[in-house]
Amino acid sequence: MRLKLTNLVKRYHGLTALDGISLELSGMGSIVMIGPSGGGKSTLMRVLAGLELPDQGRVEVDGEPLPSHEEHLVRYRRGIGTVFQAFNLFPHLTALENVTLPLVQAHGQREGEAQEYAMELLRRFQLEVHAHKMPMELSGGQQQRVAIVRAIAIKPRFLLFDEPTSALDPEMTAEVLDLIAELKVEGRELILVTHNMGFARRVADHCLFLSGGQVLESGTAERLFNAPQTPELQGFLSRVLKY
Amino acid sequence: MKSCWFDVFFARRRGTKEVLPSYGPALGVLLAVLLLTLIFSFAFSRLQYGWNWSAVYVYRHKFITGWLVTLAISAASLVASLVIGLLAALAQKASFLPLRYLGKLYIEIIRGTPLLVQILVFFYVVADAFGIGNRYLVGVLTLALFAGAYISEIVRAGIESVGESQLESARAIGLTRGQTYRFVIFPQVVRRILPPLAGQFASLIKDSSLLSIIAVNEFTLNAQEVNAFTYSTMESYLPLAVGYLALTLPISLLSKYLEEKYRYAT
Amino acid sequence: MFKGINWLCLLVALALQVVVTAPTHAARPLVVGMELAYPPFEMTDANGKPDGVSVQLAKELGKALGRPVEIKNMSFDGLIPALKTGKIDLIISSMTATEERAKSIDFSDPYLTTGLCLLVNSQVRGATIADFDQPGRTIAVKKGTTGHIYAASHIKQASLLVLDKEAAAVLEVVQGKADAFIYDQMSTYQNYQRNKNTTRPVLKPFQTESWAIGIRKGNDELKAKINRFLADFRRSGGFSKLGDRYLKEEKEAFKLLGFPFFL
Repeated sequence: MRLKLTNLVKRYHGLTALDGISLELSGMGSIVMIGPSGGGKSTLMRVLAGLELPDQGRVEVDGEPLPSHEEHLVRYRRGIGTVFQAFNLFPHLTALENVTLPLVQAHGQREGEAQEYAMELLRRFQLEVHAHKMPMELSGGQQQRVAIVRAIAIKPRFLLFDEPTSALDPEMTAEVLDLIAELKVEGRELILVTHNMGFARRVADHCLFLSGGQVLESGTAERLFNAPQTPELQGFLSRVLKY
Repeated sequence: MKSCWFDVFFARRRGTKEVLPSYGPALGVLLAVLLLTLIFSFAFSRLQYGWNWSAVYVYRHKFITGWLVTLAISAASLVASLVIGLLAALAQKASFLPLRYLGKLYIEIIRGTPLLVQILVFFYVVADAFGIGNRYLVGVLTLALFAGAYISEIVRAGIESVGESQLESARAIGLTRGQTYRFVIFPQVVRRILPPLAGQFASLIKDSSLLSIIAVNEFTLNAQEVNAFTYSTMESYLPLAVGYLALTLPISLLSKYLEEKYRYAT
Repeated sequence: MFKGINWLCLLVALALQVVVTAPTHAARPLVVGMELAYPPFEMTDANGKPDGVSVQLAKELGKALGRPVEIKNMSFDGLIPALKTGKIDLIISSMTATEERAKSIDFSDPYLTTGLCLLVNSQVRGATIADFDQPGRTIAVKKGTTGHIYAASHIKQASLLVLDKEAAAVLEVVQGKADAFIYDQMSTYQNYQRNKNTTRPVLKPFQTESWAIGIRKGNDELKAKINRFLADFRRSGGFSKLGDRYLKEEKEAFKLLGFPFFL
């Protein structure tokens, strides 16, 4: 995956969420973003997911600029898998139906094929017992894992994870992070926002520190954690790694 | 804990759940009905009323015809009001602004004026101006417009109650707006609005009695006529009450059943 | 001494109470029911107080019986049930004494004779009730009136419209939704006056009827008193005066048309 951001600006209600971000990365399997709340991580994720249009600047993914027309954006969104912090699954559909919905409606697969493929994936991640349950009947961790299966079922170019475990307790956090680690090992390209520093170190090929709408530091996880250069990152790490 | 015979009349609390004794509900309903019967018998006995059911029995076909007409009118208005309500709710989200504000105006005016006034105005003024003389058609349309305004608000509330995050989710997986409405929003909206919708339908059935003022030959008018001929007021109006219950009770029961069936966390 | 005056005041107050309540205690109010929507017999004046021929008649009756009169306004088809259950003592509401009604309540001697006639849409032909009882024609009646009862048993071919209010029935005829409206002579005449362009009256009555005062069954003494009052009132010219006061125009119009005046 080649990612090129040129002077990206995004404002909400007078607040500047992204303040002229410029960045060029290529060959990174997994990119992890860390930083304080309100620093711009989620906004950047939403732009990369095609859910927001930047006010200024350019985004190029694999050499292609991000579309600005809604129809093209829809096609773009169909090519990437997104997992949010919570409420990913539709409460009125079973786990299986949640996975097949994008396959059938967004990717034109036949219902039968989609169901087979979805069951296969669920089985791979030990979720097939939950296939016909409603999200209400699943634990938070199980829901998130089904959401991840939904994201990978569409065979995306890359995956976006926006704090996927922030709403989960430690045990469920572990089961979800295990899955993401497995995906990394498989070679899938992903961009991840997380507060879980230990996981960030383990999984990141490249790490970005966002604060105040800017990328203040960029490098390997080792470098960022062991030798933070900006006071903001130093302060952030000292707070986050305290407990 | 010693159990006494009167425990069967009370619900118990176990933690946060309620536990009902076996036969408790059945017994409770029985006693409630008994109490009501006692009160009414007492009230009627004090009335020194000369009951005359035979006079009313002679006119039984009027009751039946009237009931059937009410059933037909209610059913027709129900369907029409659903369509109107849905369209009005969608109109309020339209990008064409005059349409959006037409919708809002319609809702405010209809909800803010009495149905009686609407029936008289629509039939004697509006329909007359357009040359539409069929009072059944006008009556059904008036009822449909009336209920439609309330239903559109119910639908709108239902749509808005589907969380933003779900719409986000739908966008993220690449569903178009139309697909989002079809597969995410409407299935949930339908299930959520069933209780208030059932309430609205029951009201519609009862409101249809107002069409009697433009001489629509429905249930209430027929009962009033029988009363006028026989002077047996109670014997005319009690079957009227039962008849309406026979229409509204099934709706209420169906609504409760559907509510249970589609209960899941949002 | 102070105590003495207190006792005296109390005694005086009690005595006054007895004196004041005594006469009213003996004369209970006479509650008369009528539908105040039938001018000029039962109506309300500009201040919303009951007025009209029936109201005046009720007041004169009250004077004769030595009881204060209370007028209760209610819909026409609620009058008989109200009388039966004791909510009102009398019905003076231009009510026709029919055999059917006489099964439920008693009637005084009749005090007015009128008849059922027709208010017809001006574009429709027809001179008798038979002309209107044809397939394809529509006849309007007001719910609970003798017109309604007549139509229910005699109208076989025309379709019937049962309206709640006189005004609605007239509107139906004016708008052509009904061909004719069966009602009493006097109201038909008045409605024609108000809608000269769109209606015409067919005033010859096809069924005569008399109005009487409604009394609850089992009150023969009261009935006798009322009949005595009615006879006295007519002899002394009371009805004539009421006719002059409220129905002057109609009296003259009917004289011209050759119909006997009914009051």
